[in-house]
Amino acid sequence: MRLSSIFAIIAVVITGGILLYGVSDFPSFGDPKSPANAAVPGSESVSQYFITKSYKDTKVPNLVTSVLADYRGYDTMFETVVIFAAGMAIFAILGSVGGESQPRVQEEESSFVDGDHSRIIVGTTCRLLVPVIQVFALYVIGHGHYSPGGGFQGGVILAASFIIIALSSDLDAALRRLSEVNYLRLACVGILIYAGFGVLCQVLESNFLDYGVLQPILLTDGPEMARSHSMLGVEIGVAFTVTAIMFAIYANLSSRGTLRDGL
Amino acid sequence: MIITIISAILILLGVVFFFGAALGIVRFPDFYSRTHAAGKGDTLSSFLVILGFAVYQLKDFHSFSHDWPILLVILKLLAVSLFIFMTSPVSTHALMDAGWEDKVKPEIGEGKPNHLNDDSEKF
Amino acid sequence: MIFAFDIIILVFLVIAAIISLSVKDLLSASMIFGIYGFLICLLWAEMGAVDVAFTEAAVGAGISAVLMVATVFNTKRKSSD
Repeated sequence: MRLSSIFAIIAVVITGGILLYGVSDFPSFGDPKSPANAAVPGSESVSQYFITKSYKDTKVPNLVTSVLADYRGYDTMFETVVIFAAGMAIFAILGSVGGESQPRVQEEESSFVDGDHSRIIVGTTCRLLVPVIQVFALYVIGHGHYSPGGGFQGGVILAASFIIIALSSDLDAALRRLSEVNYLRLACVGILIYAGFGVLCQVLESNFLDYGVLQPILLTDGPEMARSHSMLGVEIGVAFTVTAIMFAIYANLSSRGTLRDGL
Repeated sequence: MIITIISAILILLGVVFFFGAALGIVRFPDFYSRTHAAGKGDTLSSFLVILGFAVYQLKDFHSFSHDWPILLVILKLLAVSLFIFMTSPVSTHALMDAGWEDKVKPEIGEGKPNHLNDDSEKF
Repeated sequence: MIFAFDIIILVFLVIAAIISLSVKDLLSASMIFGIYGFLICLLWAEMGAVDVAFTEAAVGAGISAVLMVATVFNTKRKSSD
């Protein structure tokens, strides 16, 4: 056993021991007296408030979405920014941005039919499946209020449909549908949509991401429905960024940053 | 009651096929026959298990006007099994094809032709 | 929430985690990491956190396995330690 692996094991054991020691101070699962569940005298507890009031406040049946996109909207915005930063880091490491911009060689549309008939089966099945996957992804994005789902999940599924195109034929076929310039634009537009909702609230003399004041713009009946619709808009922004960045990471990783040929 | 029994039979049949697939993965001699066992067994057994779930949903079905959401659940379950039927054989095929191109040796009996060795013919 | 089911999934989870760390072939390691993601998704769905389970199914079992395989394909396949 090498010296470095011994040090690594010692470091892992010490860190794990500290973490386990920290866990021992946690309240047990579902403890009514834990700080999140117990009410402070004079005010309601956090989880009590979310469970009882969130539908009245936002008219969104899925409590998780209303907490993520409304009450903790600032947190979710920077989660999206973290994904954006991860994509930018991939670009910076693999270095394809701004480097080469020559037009790609235009091949025939069906690049998997030429002679190699083992790819016909895979290609045809993927072509049948991709529209279904994309419709399902849009359903997940748009239906995040009512069922599990939302921008992150739907965006990842939408990116997966483009990755399936890239896997079944080649990377160029996927890049023809979502080109390099377009996914960079899409990533930026997603963040801008999210932050734009916040700034719009500030322009209307309220707090950042306080969607209730958007009622005169969105033409809804009551500030609750305005919050519901703004959550949908914010989820769409998240989905744009996640789709673009996930596909960009795949495209750059699979082709060493040259965006050609792929796997 | 009869619906519960039918769904239980379907699910048990699916589990038996799953067991066969798992046994095939462990016991078969080479890559191709193992992949074949996994692909065949998985597809049919997941279809049977999902069909069992769909039949079990009919337990609370009394009148069409009141219980029609149950039909939507059954439709979704059948759609899931349709997609498994589309993707599972194709992924098995892709796996086998990758193994063939990677020249994984099949287990072949004495005196039988081995098409992997002659480069001229590839079917 | 069934306690015995939790324990079974948790045992499989620990086994998958240990195997994916100890296996030498990085392609197998990333595949087993996909299995790990799927098992933890199952555990979360079983404990009632459906939103988290959905995210894990999409990200952990779906995309991240593909990204790891793409990385292994372009680097070397054998682990050095």
